[in-house]
Amino acid sequence: MVSKHDRELLRDNIRSRSSKLSATDRENIVKPYLPDPSELPRWPPQRRKKLPRKKPIRTFLKSQLHLITYTFLHIFFGIAVRLVQSYHAVVDRILAIVYYHHRTPELIRKDVKGLDRLPEHLSVILSLRKEDDALPILMDEVAELVSWTASAGIPVLSVYEKTGALKSCMPILHQAITNKLSSYFGSSQQPTLQLFAPHHPVYQQKSSQNSLVVLLLSATDGQETFVDLTKTLAEMAQNGKLSPEDITMELVDAEISEITTQPSQDRLETGLPSVKPEPDLLLVFGPSLKLDGYPPWHIRLTEMYYTGVNSDGMTGYSDTVEYQGFLRGLWHFAGAQMRFGR
Amino acid sequence: MATSMHLSRLRNWFLASPPIEFAISRLRELLVGAIRQGPVPQHIAFIMDGNRRFARTHGIETVEGHNLGFEALARVLEVCYRSGVQVVTIYAFSIENFKRSKFEVDALMEMARVKLSQMAQHGEILDRYGAKVRVLGRLDLLRPDVLAAVDRAVDMTKDNGDRVLNICFPYTSRDEITGAIRETVSEYSQPLRSTRSTLPLQRTPFSEDHIAQTIRARTTNGKLDDSSTEVDSVSESSTLAEDDVQRSNQQNDVYQSETPLSSATTLHLAEKAAKNRASETTSETDRPVFRSPETITRQTLTDHLLTRDCPPLDLMIRTSGVERLSDFMLWQCHQNTEIVFLDVLWPEFDLWHFLPVLLGWQRRVSKAKKNPDAEGNFDGEFQESGEESKEELVVSSGLKAKSL
Repeated sequence: MVSKHDRELLRDNIRSRSSKLSATDRENIVKPYLPDPSELPRWPPQRRKKLPRKKPIRTFLKSQLHLITYTFLHIFFGIAVRLVQSYHAVVDRILAIVYYHHRTPELIRKDVKGLDRLPEHLSVILSLRKEDDALPILMDEVAELVSWTASAGIPVLSVYEKTGALKSCMPILHQAITNKLSSYFGSSQQPTLQLFAPHHPVYQQKSSQNSLVVLLLSATDGQETFVDLTKTLAEMAQNGKLSPEDITMELVDAEISEITTQPSQDRLETGLPSVKPEPDLLLVFGPSLKLDGYPPWHIRLTEMYYTGVNSDGMTGYSDTVEYQGFLRGLWHFAGAQMRFGR
Repeated sequence: MATSMHLSRLRNWFLASPPIEFAISRLRELLVGAIRQGPVPQHIAFIMDGNRRFARTHGIETVEGHNLGFEALARVLEVCYRSGVQVVTIYAFSIENFKRSKFEVDALMEMARVKLSQMAQHGEILDRYGAKVRVLGRLDLLRPDVLAAVDRAVDMTKDNGDRVLNICFPYTSRDEITGAIRETVSEYSQPLRSTRSTLPLQRTPFSEDHIAQTIRARTTNGKLDDSSTEVDSVSESSTLAEDDVQRSNQQNDVYQSETPLSSATTLHLAEKAAKNRASETTSETDRPVFRSPETITRQTLTDHLLTRDCPPLDLMIRTSGVERLSDFMLWQCHQNTEIVFLDVLWPEFDLWHFLPVLLGWQRRVSKAKKNPDAEGNFDGEFQESGEESKEELVVSSGLKAKSL
């Protein structure tokens, strides 16, 4: 750390447009803070011979001291982390009791009514568990999420699940979501559901005014899509249909958006509204913020929020999808400041 | 108000007094040395956000805020490199930032130029201690004098040790990805040179006459010469299979541009090869030979990014509480990077904010090492997520009872 006196000297120098101090002056100021040359691993060998390895005992003691400090740091840090986690767990439980949806869209609507803004496109990252009945659990979570999203009035929800297991059972999933929606809204006024995934046909009922779009994503829609695009472009370039200079950000953006966020059928035919490809909010139900293969292109300006440790010792898994987590994400989003790169 | 100002002045005086300063610097050294003992992220990215807000809240000029931000950067770099981080990538300037006021853009450019050219003055010291400096981004958007400073700094430090500082100067990730695609495409659209002269043997793996002969033999001979043809055909098919393997290997590398991609399945390779040969012998023109686009993988694209020779990104830190990536390292951080958003303005960022992040990272990594098959590690194609952390499932039962 540079001492205050020296820092002031350097700052003055910057203010006066670097005229006061010459290069050697600056070097002299900085020199005391540089590590001892002999400590550097990459020291030229011919000079190392002149300097014998000095003070082996001292270096040994130093490294032992560091090791002890490391251990103690981690012990204390671990305790602190546990304390914070248990605090959050308590808060989570309280929130979960205070805010519960009771399968009533009106309650959910009331919970989000005071918010300044809502995401137009919500995205969630879910993960498949290891148990045998993981897929039904996952589908139930998706169905719950869809119901909350519909109740909150968010028109688009995209669900990312790494393995793509959800995509393989879209008819069942569609049925499950419809059932869940009817249990929330009642069969008469439930919103229509449009469920689709890249490279898959749309599952939808006849469209009405309040419809909900659900998009399923998996890891193959991420970097693999770019690989496919590059392959196609390379093929076109090899056949002379395209020159590499034609590849612009706009082209890539249009292609990637087309592939990952539009159904494979013609949009005009099916009467689907165009989906806003960039999610506004990305919810991660997990202990830390990792994207885990989420498609990279569209998360440029996406707010990210992770629910933190959702410890549920009884059931034994860490990232349960809970209503209070969903709600906290929306609150957080409403409080955040929106600035576009300037 | 007055008392708080006096207090803060007293505090500053206290912190700046030589013994305290000495103690703090010793403490920092100890902590950094301690961090070294555990696993250390190899590649950290910083989004240095909050310089302007810091300037606004502290009533100083924006440019001054950026200068303080630079000091914070120096502090953080010291911590990083001393604790053993190999590569630090910083987001210095986005292409979008050109939209800011001309005054600020000019000031930032001037600052970059001055810092870089000052750095270039300390050649000898840099050689001994410095990291390799690389500037990533759209250099063509820079002013010529800044570009010259950039070039000199990069050139001077290119032989330095294994520590790397990546400065993303006018950069956006989308631009980088597009560039990677463009480069890959242009690389693959270069015809492979002198394939005809070097690979004459590869172009004739089958003899057309021979194929025709065997087909004819099979159809005409029928059941008469059953035993003899069977032996014949077996030997034939075995050689065919061998050729097929060989051919398919080549097919991956050398690829005829007219072959429709969609139908290029391995099943029909032998036929197709024969067909290709037939068409070629008839036309006998010098068609350019390209590498097959099918050999493009994620790795190919990763290798064409600006960060191509850096280790995978372990940790991404953004200050100032804004929780989005703002077009930075989208490709790099999308797999197994831990993203951390800190609610501190960049000029205030120091070891004390950085330490918990590093400790948390170390904790998760060592946990993931202890039980590598924690959740999130699926079989199949995507196995990189070995470090998926299984975070504290166990909350003490007393607490649980209380909470329920």
